[in-house]
Amino acid sequence: MGSISIVRFFIATMRAALYRYSTMWLAQVSFRYRRRDRYVIEAAEARLSPGDVVELTGPNGAGKSTLLRLMAGLTRPTSGAVTGRPAVVGYVPDRFPTGQPFTVAGYLRHMARVRGGARWEPWAERVGLDGFSDVRLRELSKGTAHKVGLVQALMAEPGLLVLDEPFAGLDRDTRDALPQIVTEVAARGGIVVASDHQGGLGTLDGVRPWSLRSARLIEHPPPPSPGLAAEDPLGVEGSPSAEGPPGEAELGAARGAVTVEVSVPARDLDGFLRRMRDDGYPARALTEEEVT
Amino acid sequence: MIALVAFRVAAYVRSHRVFQAFLPILVMISIVYASRAPRGAEVAALTDSAVLVIPFLAWATRGLLDTEPDEQRAISATAVGGRLREVAAGLLAALVTCMAFAALTLGCGLALGLSATPSRGVVAAGVVVHALAVLAGVALGALTSRPVMPSPAYSVMALVAGFLMMLLVGASPAYWLTVPVTAWMKAAGAGRLVSELPGLAAISLAWCLAALALYGYLRRDRP
Repeated sequence: MGSISIVRFFIATMRAALYRYSTMWLAQVSFRYRRRDRYVIEAAEARLSPGDVVELTGPNGAGKSTLLRLMAGLTRPTSGAVTGRPAVVGYVPDRFPTGQPFTVAGYLRHMARVRGGARWEPWAERVGLDGFSDVRLRELSKGTAHKVGLVQALMAEPGLLVLDEPFAGLDRDTRDALPQIVTEVAARGGIVVASDHQGGLGTLDGVRPWSLRSARLIEHPPPPSPGLAAEDPLGVEGSPSAEGPPGEAELGAARGAVTVEVSVPARDLDGFLRRMRDDGYPARALTEEEVT
Repeated sequence: MIALVAFRVAAYVRSHRVFQAFLPILVMISIVYASRAPRGAEVAALTDSAVLVIPFLAWATRGLLDTEPDEQRAISATAVGGRLREVAAGLLAALVTCMAFAALTLGCGLALGLSATPSRGVVAAGVVVHALAVLAGVALGALTSRPVMPSPAYSVMALVAGFLMMLLVGASPAYWLTVPVTAWMKAAGAGRLVSELPGLAAISLAWCLAALALYGYLRRDRP
């Protein structure tokens, strides 16, 4: 009897390990809310390998959250299929539901039990939640509540981490820590998909920029290496091919793109870059050295 | 999944929504068993209480399922490993809660509401009708919960209308078209409940399972 239990435990463990990290496919995924409605997402095709990090952009109402929910398995596609979804999924909604009768620690303890005894304390400490254990969820600020959402998703070492606007409302320390956390999840073999208006993951190496425009999912060429990204942005953009960073003009030519220069007031820089990224262009600010 | 059931029951109790069903059930028990049922009418009294508690059990189920915010349902579904498990955990939590309420109702009836000690057959019939009441309450409450009926006004009206339909259709010759609660009471009043229970229970069980299956089907597209 005992040996059978051990074998069963071994098989269950191996199965969990086997399916935790896997390649995921979106095959002609379309979605609409009602039969006669227009499609919110139409014929989306994608392949996501273990370790992929996807930054999803698009204007408000483009269907980003819907696509994330389809990928997380929370909504069924109207047609098409999402296959190969990793067994362990972490989902962080854009607004954490604070209307629940628990303290932070009480809630995370329950979620840890649901996750089969996962450890939440190290994650709480890492995102700066350790001082809020006894605070009721209803009393949390938006940013602190968002951290609770992050912890419940991260504690189970997800094979697929779905983040809906993960940087919204976070304090600077956590905003700075989040790209590193995403990198660690990807390094373990997890797939990370984040909708992001703030461009917070744009600095990561190898991030795949996706955008949703007119119900179509578009994958854009990856942005230039973060080594070329601005440390001290001056409020400009890309460069003419002859004066651009080494290799950038060749990259642009290879993919049939041109590099343009735009000057904007420094105060408008963030908004300008965000709009360009929302439109699917890999815009970035130049460093001081590149300008001179 | 058991951990998610515990989480949902804990949320229901800690939110104090539990009192929205608990207090009316206490009032109902006080009225139904205010005077002890006379000798020979034990099974009728127990059946009446089982029927009368159904709308409160449906209310309890609706309250429990609606305690969880919509986004928390999404979080729970990913945490427990899928939408199907999340739906099953919600129903199981409602079942556990309603069983506690039904046990309270039956226990008060047996301990305080009867003039004579009931026979084993009467107690068994009481247990069966209360179990069927639990299933009917959970099914009716689940079908009127927020994911299926987002409007609170329509939801409450549907819950009351559902119970009235059970009463009215159950009193007609076509009683088999619903959970025949009036037929339960009629049979109990005529002293035939024990003999007719298998047939009535089969009809009741079939409708409850069909309603729960419908709830599961509707939840596929209503997260």
